[in-house]
Amino acid sequence: MIVIRCPYCHEQRTEEELTYGGEAGIARPDPNTASDGEWTDYLFMRTNTKGLHNEQWCCSAGCGQWFKVTRHTVTHEVVAVVRFDEALG
Amino acid sequence: MSHGYRLPVGGRIDRTRTISFTFNGSVLKGHPGDTLASALIANGVNIIGRSFKYHRPRGFYGAGVEDPNSMLAVRDRYAYEPALRAGQVHLCEGLEARSVTGWPTSGFDLAAGLQLFSGILGAGFYYKTFKWPNWALFEPLIERSTGFGRPRDTVETRVAHHRHVNCDVFIVGGGPAGLATARALIGSGLKVILADDQPQVGGSLLWEQTGIGSRAGDEWARVVAVEIAADTNMTVLNSTIVTAAYEGNHFTLLQSVRDPFGVRAEYIWKVHARQVVLATGMIDRPMVFAGNDRPGIMLSSSVRRLIREFAVAPASTLAIYTNNDSGYLTALAAQQAGINVVAVVDTREETAAVHRVAARGAGIECLFEAQITATSGYRRLTSISVCGTEGARRRIPCSSLAVSGGFTPLIHLASHRGTKPVYDSRLSAFLPGKLPADWSAVGGVAGTADLATTLADGARAARVLGNTVGISIGLPPDESVEGLSCGTVVPLWRPDHGSSAEMWVDFQNDVKVSDVEIAARENYVSVEHLKRYTTLGMGTDQGRTSNVNGLAIMAGSRGVAPEAMGTTTFRPPYVAVRMGTIANRRRGDLYKPRRLLPAHSVHEEHSAVFEDFGWERPDWYRRNGESREAAVAAEMSAVRDHVGVFDSSSLGKIEVTGPDAAEFLSRFYVSNMSTLKAGVIRYSVMAKEDGVIFDDGVVARLSEYVYLASPTSGNAESVAAWFERWRQTEWPSMRVAVSPVTSHWASIAIAGPKARALLAHLDPDFDISNAAFPHMRIREGVIAGVEARVARVSFTGELQYEISVPARYGASLMRALLLHGEIKPRPVGLEAWLRLRLEKGYLHLGSDTNGRTTPLDVGMGDLVAKRIDDFIGKRSLALSFARSDEREQLVGLLALEGALDAGARILAPGQTRPPCRTDGYVTSACFSPSVGAWIGLALIERGFARHGEVVLAYSGGSAIACRVTNPAFYDSGNARLHA
Repeated sequence: MIVIRCPYCHEQRTEEELTYGGEAGIARPDPNTASDGEWTDYLFMRTNTKGLHNEQWCCSAGCGQWFKVTRHTVTHEVVAVVRFDEALG
Repeated sequence: MSHGYRLPVGGRIDRTRTISFTFNGSVLKGHPGDTLASALIANGVNIIGRSFKYHRPRGFYGAGVEDPNSMLAVRDRYAYEPALRAGQVHLCEGLEARSVTGWPTSGFDLAAGLQLFSGILGAGFYYKTFKWPNWALFEPLIERSTGFGRPRDTVETRVAHHRHVNCDVFIVGGGPAGLATARALIGSGLKVILADDQPQVGGSLLWEQTGIGSRAGDEWARVVAVEIAADTNMTVLNSTIVTAAYEGNHFTLLQSVRDPFGVRAEYIWKVHARQVVLATGMIDRPMVFAGNDRPGIMLSSSVRRLIREFAVAPASTLAIYTNNDSGYLTALAAQQAGINVVAVVDTREETAAVHRVAARGAGIECLFEAQITATSGYRRLTSISVCGTEGARRRIPCSSLAVSGGFTPLIHLASHRGTKPVYDSRLSAFLPGKLPADWSAVGGVAGTADLATTLADGARAARVLGNTVGISIGLPPDESVEGLSCGTVVPLWRPDHGSSAEMWVDFQNDVKVSDVEIAARENYVSVEHLKRYTTLGMGTDQGRTSNVNGLAIMAGSRGVAPEAMGTTTFRPPYVAVRMGTIANRRRGDLYKPRRLLPAHSVHEEHSAVFEDFGWERPDWYRRNGESREAAVAAEMSAVRDHVGVFDSSSLGKIEVTGPDAAEFLSRFYVSNMSTLKAGVIRYSVMAKEDGVIFDDGVVARLSEYVYLASPTSGNAESVAAWFERWRQTEWPSMRVAVSPVTSHWASIAIAGPKARALLAHLDPDFDISNAAFPHMRIREGVIAGVEARVARVSFTGELQYEISVPARYGASLMRALLLHGEIKPRPVGLEAWLRLRLEKGYLHLGSDTNGRTTPLDVGMGDLVAKRIDDFIGKRSLALSFARSDEREQLVGLLALEGALDAGARILAPGQTRPPCRTDGYVTSACFSPSVGAWIGLALIERGFARHGEVVLAYSGGSAIACRVTNPAFYDSGNARLHA
């Protein structure tokens, strides 16, 4: 059971109260200049790390804010939690 | 006696009361404190079931949950369970138990004839045999001859509850290790929970002969339990099994709440602990030898437990087979109970046996460096054959045999957390290894077989965890500890004598040493392959008594040490948990919330037949005893010819407001919503970044800064979440707010030629003439005295208004509309509504679109081409796959004969029946009264270029000819919409 404290409403929430949003830090390419390869990489390719992973979560049962988390994908240890406009280490 | 019997004195049972129960229909008696296993053995029950593959007679192997043999169907007053271990079930009045293997009875099983074929039934036999002429011929028979447990339809009164609790310290196990830790924490102020699977704490202290201080071990346990109970910060959960350990020190527990008639309730606990003490103990390991599976052969510690906890003897003659000192404890306990202990057969040298003097002093013969070479007795053990170093063989008659091949610490919960077990060569056992953070292990599970060390380790563990949180825990006063030690182990993984085809490793799944050898020969040598190829350890006991022997024998075949093999992973749950207990109250109406429309009571008044579409919505209205088809036809014609009233309150409503609302919405929809003028409505679709349609609906602009988006009912929440996610994470500087208001407004649609007249009767305070209020416009004002938003937008193809009022007025509005005496509108359900829109060729999201459908596929190519600026998904529509010739495109179908089925496959040109290529499928279909034929929509390859073509739609064995058309079947000029 992954437990994360939301950096906005500061409540401790279990994964059942949150929504997972995939990898963080994916930059949307400029659609006017992106090649087909760059665009499909943006759509489908992810780092898929075995280890520390930067990702997005939403406090969906609480304050509704999206924020960022660094989580170890094997042990599920949550190493860092920051507001969306802050940087993960 | 050659079977079990009750000892005249001793045990923790209550001999003053008697319990009646039945086994396979026979009435038997036991006492409070008995388990089903102890009571059955006391009654002389010998064969408890048949083995999985070979249907050999099996008796009790262990007294508790570690027994691989006893699987019984059990019914108490409250529930029926198809497969429980006899040692898990506590005897209660009126209990009914049945064997689940063996036909016609476990005593006489015809399938035992399979043993004649055991030569071809070894590991992996189904890859090599039973293939000609066809495996499918043999499979049903093989299936029927295996398996455990028979389901029954029953009404249950057992109650299930869930509990959630956080604590500072969670102690798993209430034996000496757990109790010593808990006792040290009394008065610390820490919130402590201790869980133990038995009705009373004490663990092995309840049946081993021990003394702590001035008390007997079991009395010490009782006193400590009382002291713990006096500390209000400490909780003991009895009859509670910890079923799983999850990350973050979360655990699930299963507590059985019993009364004299059975398990009245089961509680699932979800515990979160800051610190964890694992004190789950260890169990005996079997010895491997030829003929080691006969009824009458049991684990040595189980024999001790039977004698001392339940006052049950396994038989009147007992032999012991051991490679460690604990076998002697059993010999002495049996001797004291008056059982004739015929011999202790010790595989080790005499000097290693620390209790030999005590044993000989009690008159027990001890044989050293001796091994069992064979046993006899098909339905019950009758003798063992022993061989010494000189080779001399001797037959010793006995009807029970206690075996101890070493110890297996119960490390399952640590394994659930992914810790790799570590082999300890001193104990010849796997220990937990590097424990998860904030865990410690004490006692048998950590490899400690000595009581004094266990008690000291428990107190020390408490002190360490106290230090971690800054609380000082004192060490307890020294107490003398008495009890025979379990001594040392010299492993004998595989005996030197006997045929490997007669040596069992996994009793539950009937896996023998010969099967392990087959796996080794065929190169399935890794521990994971060994498990899956032979099925060793795959039974419901998760290999509790078989894993280590199996991997050690494989290691021997490969010439490596057992630790080099590694282990397989234990997974939750530790014991089976009933689905009903997990489901708890979430059944029937409590399974998920039922959402009712604001006008629900009015629909009921009009005899609506409801369906669950996410909200409970009328599918049709039952009037005058009509059938569904007649009602739907009448509702459709009411809309086409008169006026119908439809509750559309579940459609999504999202207010998007702010100076940047226009720009914001333009980035989502295929149509450019920023050019929408105030008071105007536009229909469009929205895609995700891969270009696939995920919503269709209308957007209305109420004013310069206020938009109202209407996603399809199923997307009401997800579109709002989608808008909000992009706003927060991509465009946080945009001045826009997203407010979902779906349940704030009730929306009633009125559709048909008389719709304007009906609207007029509600006294709107704005001009509703056709010129002032054209199609695709929205007005805000007052109708029937309440604030309202009225949108002129049509799903049906007729003149239609959607009237939205605050939800609290929804029922009144619906009633006011339906009770209009002069116009007499008809209520219309969802089935008729969807057929009406199909006549108009409008797509229904999810039916006429699938997980690949893009805006280009539904005919919006021109709209997409016109958009110069970007919207989400637009770039993907320029990829070659989005423009491919093979894409399925949405077209209409007019059946030339017969009835059209949604889901019918469109056969490729020139094909008349499958198997053949198909070009697509029918997405929606119905009989159209307006057209007078069956119509439908379909996704067909290159559909836009094939209008006019005749295709075959194949469904249910027959093919129907259909013409591919433009989807607008009804009023293609849209005259009705603009009336």
